[in-house]
Amino acid sequence: MSEAHHGALHLRVKRIEAVTPEINRYTFSAADGSWLPPFSGGSHIRVLIPFEGETRRNAYSLMSSPYDTSEYQIAVRRVEEGKRGSIAMHRDIREGDVLTATIPANLFPVSKHARHHVFIAGGVGVTPIYAQLDELSLKGSSFELHLAVRGPEHAALGHELRERYGDRVVLYGDGDGTRLNSHEILGGLPLGTHAYVCGPSRMVDDVIGAAHAHGWTDSHIHFERFEDLGSTGDPFSVTLARSGAVVEVSPEQSLLEAVEEAGHKLPYLCRGGACGECETEVLELEGTLDHRDDWLSESDRCTNKLIMPCVSRATCTKLVLNA
Amino acid sequence: MLITGIKSRPVYDELTPMATGASHVAAAQGSGGEPLVRLLREMDPDQLSATTVLYSVESFTGKNHLADLQDFAVRELVVFPTNADAVSGLDALLATAKMGTRLYLSGSEGFIGTSMQVATSYGMNRDEVLREHAGSFVRRVWCAHCSHYSENVSRRIFRCPGCARHLIVRDHYSGRLAAFQGVKADGEVPGELPENEELDT
Repeated sequence: MSEAHHGALHLRVKRIEAVTPEINRYTFSAADGSWLPPFSGGSHIRVLIPFEGETRRNAYSLMSSPYDTSEYQIAVRRVEEGKRGSIAMHRDIREGDVLTATIPANLFPVSKHARHHVFIAGGVGVTPIYAQLDELSLKGSSFELHLAVRGPEHAALGHELRERYGDRVVLYGDGDGTRLNSHEILGGLPLGTHAYVCGPSRMVDDVIGAAHAHGWTDSHIHFERFEDLGSTGDPFSVTLARSGAVVEVSPEQSLLEAVEEAGHKLPYLCRGGACGECETEVLELEGTLDHRDDWLSESDRCTNKLIMPCVSRATCTKLVLNA
Repeated sequence: MLITGIKSRPVYDELTPMATGASHVAAAQGSGGEPLVRLLREMDPDQLSATTVLYSVESFTGKNHLADLQDFAVRELVVFPTNADAVSGLDALLATAKMGTRLYLSGSEGFIGTSMQVATSYGMNRDEVLREHAGSFVRRVWCAHCSHYSENVSRRIFRCPGCARHLIVRDHYSGRLAAFQGVKADGEVPGELPENEELDT
């Protein structure tokens, strides 16, 4: 199996396919030709993308089969705004190139005990579901997928899944005027159903709201917001108490990225404010913290004693971290 | 006492209406009728009309709360002669139940445990279920040798009806089996039984 060095894999770009006007699918194999680490459906990797002398660390879901670790596949939608890592993927990366990526982590696994699985996705949000359905269909589990697309030219991935799974895949917006209605989808489902939503924040919030309206509890609702929350904003500086180092965080990078660039290490996993791995103690603060994570509770936030450096920022004249 | 303090014993809740539920199932046996009456009193009319009550009149202590339960305008009240029948009734009800259902259980540990096995088999999670213990703490015991389940065990040492061995009841509860573990009491020296005692019932 391919070895990860400091949690990093070297992936060779085997194939690039344009699947929609905005989405490319990349097939990777290990640069040394060996097997890649196994993963479960819903996993993602972070691809380190060279971009104008800097490095973008974008998370992409693995969409290939978890039962074939000779290769990984990801789909990258070109996003013009934001930190433009996806632009570099589309513009600069060619077949044969070698990219560095983190080993797979899964913050969006399927429930092992569900009696029925309902997936709801928008556009490129369908990518983690590819691998999840592979896993479930081999086990003979019961599932359905509802996928919203912006028009027939954006529906290629949906058609692929319809070919594999037939009527269990329902497409909306594929030129027939249908619209995805999460309230209808989630009504009257049997006990023990689990719902999974991956898409823009608006869609995720809509599905969570509909599930709650039908009386669902949170343990049955799983979501992944594919919009990279990123972390851009006003620059600020941070002091790392253990080394005394002062690090400047530029408007274009996260606190975590700035600390890494300065040659220091902080623990991390998801780099999206979800997993809790990078939780760091705030020792001194003159100003206010700008919490952007999904991890800290409201009461944690109010104490001003904890911060998630992967997404959160500060407006401050002084910030000292226990790191 | 074999082990003091039973860490594996479930921590029970207090029954109170779960306002976010769209439909409610409340199941109890014997003394468990009392927490159920309290629960139904706390429900508003909409919640009551969306509630099915299952009640078993089998009771170790002889308590029967059926008359009080009949006072509420619930969707349905189903009465069972035995706890096993009530658990089967719960199974049949959950088989067609929809997402949004909340489950309330009260009564003996054995009744709550076996009902919980049914709820788990339908994929219900702990955030959809409240459990309140009521009545005595008689134990349901699983024999480690013949897999027989004995209900209402109140003594530390008893003879297993399945294999006739003398079993000592360990203070080890299995949520999966919904029972305490019973093992051969004279395993070290055949015929030499430890002193018997009343369990904390």
